[in-house]
Amino acid sequence: MFVSQSMTRKVITIDKEAGIFDAQEKFAEHRIRHLPVVDAENRLIGIVTDRDIRTAMPYSLFKDPTNQLEREKLSGLKIRDFMTVDPKTISPGYTIQDALLLIEQLRVGALPVTDEQGKLKGIISVRDLLRAFINVLGIGQPGTLVGILVEEKIGQMKKIVDAITEEDISFGSVLVARYWEKDKRAVFPYLLTQNVAPIKRKLKDMGYTLIDPMQWYLDQLPKYE
Amino acid sequence: MRRTGFLYDERYLLHDTGSYHPEVPERLLAVYKGIEEGNLLPELVRIKAETAERKWIELVHESGYIDRFGDACISNQRSFEHPDNQMCSETFDVAFLAVGGILKTADMVMQGELDNAFCAVRPPGHHAERDHPLGFCYFNNVAIAARYLQKKWGIGNVGIIDFDVHHGNGTQHIFEQDPTVFYYSIHQHPSFAYPGTGREFEYGTGSGHGFTKNNVVLPGQGDDVYTELIQEHLVVDFDRFKPEFILVSAGFDGHADDDMSDINLSTEWYTWMMETIMTMADRVAGGRVISVLEGGYCLQRLPELARNHVTTLLTGGK
Repeated sequence: MFVSQSMTRKVITIDKEAGIFDAQEKFAEHRIRHLPVVDAENRLIGIVTDRDIRTAMPYSLFKDPTNQLEREKLSGLKIRDFMTVDPKTISPGYTIQDALLLIEQLRVGALPVTDEQGKLKGIISVRDLLRAFINVLGIGQPGTLVGILVEEKIGQMKKIVDAITEEDISFGSVLVARYWEKDKRAVFPYLLTQNVAPIKRKLKDMGYTLIDPMQWYLDQLPKYE
Repeated sequence: MRRTGFLYDERYLLHDTGSYHPEVPERLLAVYKGIEEGNLLPELVRIKAETAERKWIELVHESGYIDRFGDACISNQRSFEHPDNQMCSETFDVAFLAVGGILKTADMVMQGELDNAFCAVRPPGHHAERDHPLGFCYFNNVAIAARYLQKKWGIGNVGIIDFDVHHGNGTQHIFEQDPTVFYYSIHQHPSFAYPGTGREFEYGTGSGHGFTKNNVVLPGQGDDVYTELIQEHLVVDFDRFKPEFILVSAGFDGHADDDMSDINLSTEWYTWMMETIMTMADRVAGGRVISVLEGGYCLQRLPELARNHVTTLLTGGK
């Protein structure tokens, strides 16, 4: 779960002497929103986002992108004039969890990945993280979500995992979430099978309460700003 | 009374899934019992299975996949590519009989011998993908039937209605790029149910965009929500699409007493559903409907559900 495994390696970059319309074309052509700016040695010197472009362009050009007069006025505008210099970066050895926290904290849509020499190795975007998250949840594979309410004490999880393993069922993922009742946890194994009725019965026989998935909402989780 | 076919063959009982599996031969016996006890057998045209020609199965499945399935069976494997897909040495042959029986039924409808039919087959089909088995399914019976109707009988638009409580991922994927087959599925929300596909925002791809529709229902819901969605979506979509033939993936596992789902449908709802399909079929498809058994695991409810289902095929919509 390292940034190096989830990042996009073939980064579309731009030169600092390029014009604003070059950047605009690259965004549209590759359907991306971040363009790292590199020097001749592939060292990262800045970043441009599609938002920077929108901010730099007058409204009249949005209304009519072919407005020649306005285009000429802007043609002298270079990337170096409006790029973010020395942007925040992340190292390829960081984990996906680091990237999640950093991207959320910095309120950016992507982070360039650089090595110790400052050379660009890749870029990790919110989209890459989403892909990793889908992978972690296991929901790309066929399976069934089961919700189990457990007392918050040591050994509960083992019992559940053992019971499921005994039935020869594989796990896509297991999420553990806080529950609104004190001293309880909600456990959500995503089981890679259609045949869940027997394991549900078994868990009930073991004394567990199965949670109606509708009684559990993500917004029961603590929020932080 | 309509001329309704009933495909049932004791060889469908030979597909043995072992002791720890819900998709058991007793399901078919329960279906048969319900129809027998309703004194409906004399009203029905009985159909025996025959083995499908491999070329028709290859309309949907990769040849290499069919070989793999046969090899797994011959070498006496107990499951095929996933523990869910339990099998025995007969499974491969039974799967060919399921497809063959349905294609024979299709011939009879197209030749005018039948108006409609119910095919009580095992193994089920709607999870089966082009190149792999899934969720108790090996060959996608309904998908093969749709292609067969088009290739052999020159049918243009085929409409598939899947009311099994699980999404028919296989059927959707096989037809998602195809504007001549409309796949409609209503099922428990994929975040809470197997196999996790069939989200509301899946509409088909490429030129098939707009010819796939998924209605999703949250756990705990039942008749009211289902009825509203069917009226607002299925009926409207099919009136516009105008299928020349309707195939039904009939799964009864959304019943409140069926522990394979958290959906609470009543026995009466399933009758209403079938009446609605029949009315629609009369309007757009010349009454041509073939319904094929998919899921449904509550042995106590299957007799009445099958009985009502067949009764509605015999009497038509309201």
